Amino acid sequence: MSFVNVIAKRGISTTAICYGKRNFKKFPLYGKRGSRIFKQQQHENPDPELPDNKRGVREIGYKVGDKFVTIPEMVPELIVPDLTGFKLKPYVSYRAPDVVQSEFTAEDLFNVVYAPKIMKDLKEGKLNEDGSSKEPSNEEKLTPEKALIRARQTGSDIF
Amino acid sequence: MRLTQILLSRVGEWSKQYANLPDRYIKRAMEQVYWRNPKGIQYRPSTVIQRKKFRFTMNRPWSHQFYEQNAPGRLRKKVFVEPIKKWSFFRGDRVEVLVGKDKGKQGIVKYIVQERNWVIVEGLNCHLRRMKRGDESLDLYIQSEAPLLVTDQVALVDPSDLKATPIEWRYTESGESVRVSVRTGRIIPIPATAEETIDYKSKSTYKEQPKDTGANEVAEITFEPALKTFEMDIMESMGIKEDRIPKKTYWY
Repeated sequence: MSFVNVIAKRGISTTAICYGKRNFKKFPLYGKRGSRIFKQQQHENPDPELPDNKRGVREIGYKVGDKFVTIPEMVPELIVPDLTGFKLKPYVSYRAPDVVQSEFTAEDLFNVVYAPKIMKDLKEGKLNEDGSSKEPSNEEKLTPEKALIRARQTGSDIF
Repeated sequence: MRLTQILLSRVGEWSKQYANLPDRYIKRAMEQVYWRNPKGIQYRPSTVIQRKKFRFTMNRPWSHQFYEQNAPGRLRKKVFVEPIKKWSFFRGDRVEVLVGKDKGKQGIVKYIVQERNWVIVEGLNCHLRRMKRGDESLDLYIQSEAPLLVTDQVALVDPSDLKATPIEWRYTESGESVRVSVRTGRIIPIPATAEETIDYKSKSTYKEQPKDTGANEVAEITFEPALKTFEMDIMESMGIKEDRIPKKTYWY
């Protein structure tokens, strides 16, 4: 019988890492970075985990399989006003005094739009018990839902 | 306090005044960033390795010569500068030199280096620099002024008797802070050329250029508050009518 010396050994597997997940989070590969093959692969089959190369610009349609469908409403239209007779210029003269204006708050807007009408109604006694007017103006008839629709009709989606 | 603010606060207010450059340009031209942490949630935010110790000289911090003197790797011994609470020397001030071979002479302040407490007086405290251009046998000598320390080597001149005085900042009856000569009590006014920059001699005499908006147009108030968003206002002014109602969207 041969006595086998049992020496405790530990093995290191170098193939386990090769089969594992590549962590490239420390090296963001976007846009023009990466090898030619990598960029080709990104173009055909973009990896969803890596950031795209749109740089914030939105697509003007959607993809149906391989074909791209353009939606005309999604094409941004730049509306630039007519600048004839416009007095403001790119630079400001050094002679101009330092203009300090306080912030224009919602309270100031209320004071301009609603306050005069309320004062007038109060003096003429046309206010109801809860404070609303007996002859509401267009602004006073406005509900939050209608106001939201009006704001959304412009096409902006920030509301 | 952020390092960028520290950088800017190191540059003296009166050193920057004549050049009339925006602060962000000075900061950008001066900073030497060696490493900036990348953007990403895994990195510590706003971690920068940059040069913090600069050797301030006669060259302005945004110039190339300043960069050469403060090149990456160039370590200079620290220059100890007496901190002055309120800077009292302006361009165009009449001062008397108290040390050196021009001791007792009076001159006008031409250049200020606030970071080193330096002031250059026109034509005084000069020395000759030899400039040899290439292989020329004729030596070219240039006379250049040496800077003078504001604390010890220079004193403001009292306009009443034209002699050097120590000064103090005091308040007038109207609440204005002025320099007052300690010996006589006479107010030493701040010279008109203190306001001068490379762009104008004074703000009121600035010649308006074609691309400048006039002072009146800037101060005009044309805003009329109305119950509309910015986009609604534009649509009304351009005559765009929209009847479609957009479908409801949800934010998650």
